Amino acid sequence: MYGLDAISANNGWQLAALGISIVFAGLIVLSFSISQIHRVLEFFDKSSGFSQRIKKAGREKNISEPDVADSPLPAGIKESAFQFKLLIKHIGEPFSLPELIDFSKKCGLLHSHLRINDLLQTNLIIPDGKGYFLWNYEVEKTLRLFDERGE
Amino acid sequence: MPVDINIIKSLNFFKDFSHADLEEIAPLIDQIRTTEGERITCRGCHADTFFIIFSGNFMISFKHDRSYTLHDRGDIIGLSTLIMPFAYTGTAVALTEGAVLSMPGEELLRIIQSNSELGEKIMKKINEIVEKRMPFVTGRC
Repeated sequence: MYGLDAISANNGWQLAALGISIVFAGLIVLSFSISQIHRVLEFFDKSSGFSQRIKKAGREKNISEPDVADSPLPAGIKESAFQFKLLIKHIGEPFSLPELIDFSKKCGLLHSHLRINDLLQTNLIIPDGKGYFLWNYEVEKTLRLFDERGE
Repeated sequence: MPVDINIIKSLNFFKDFSHADLEEIAPLIDQIRTTEGERITCRGCHADTFFIIFSGNFMISFKHDRSYTLHDRGDIIGLSTLIMPFAYTGTAVALTEGAVLSMPGEELLRIIQSNSELGEKIMKKINEIVEKRMPFVTGRC
């Protein structure tokens, strides 16, 4: 006996149907389990306080990270301060920031924007509130950038 | 590069916006990297793009070389995109490397006109910023 007769005689059709049913049932169970994973995770999350621990760890990390204000002075700030103070003396105070940038470029200074930003961040250059800027001699003294002769 | 909605929500400008509002705005936003000295807007040019600072430091200069600097995430550049006559009043330049979120002005205006509630929220924020910055533009500080 061969072919379809043999399949029928040995319950082949029923076995095939059973196999397909088992596979599909398995897939249904699997997809349902996956769809409910978020609930299981939420339950564990709440019960174990995992999220609180993560948040706490994040806070601790934030605390341990140095604040920008506490960070050391930008590299080359002394040189930038010296050069830009000379330029500002030349153009006079209060001065215009775009004018200072243009003037520094004409004088051949590299990375004028970046260096002026460093001076702004360290408060060596401060706004006068009217759209112009001033050199901050107080901060210059505090940071002790120059020696007694102002160099 | 499209921007995640959670990033948009973290910006001060959008903090009062609902999730539905942000879902409407998010597809308009792209992230653009900026380099030191790069010009973002030019004074007098047609204001076609609205920018929100994502990182970096910027300077905006006006008539008579008046200027102010922006250093905070969420600060706005290109308010003129939403204000007649739709011409930038200042030139924005990147002082350092950074990134800005850009929104096409026409699309933003379309949202403001089609969704009155959202439009009102956006214009309220814009007016608050304009009020603070106007003295620098007019010179009446």
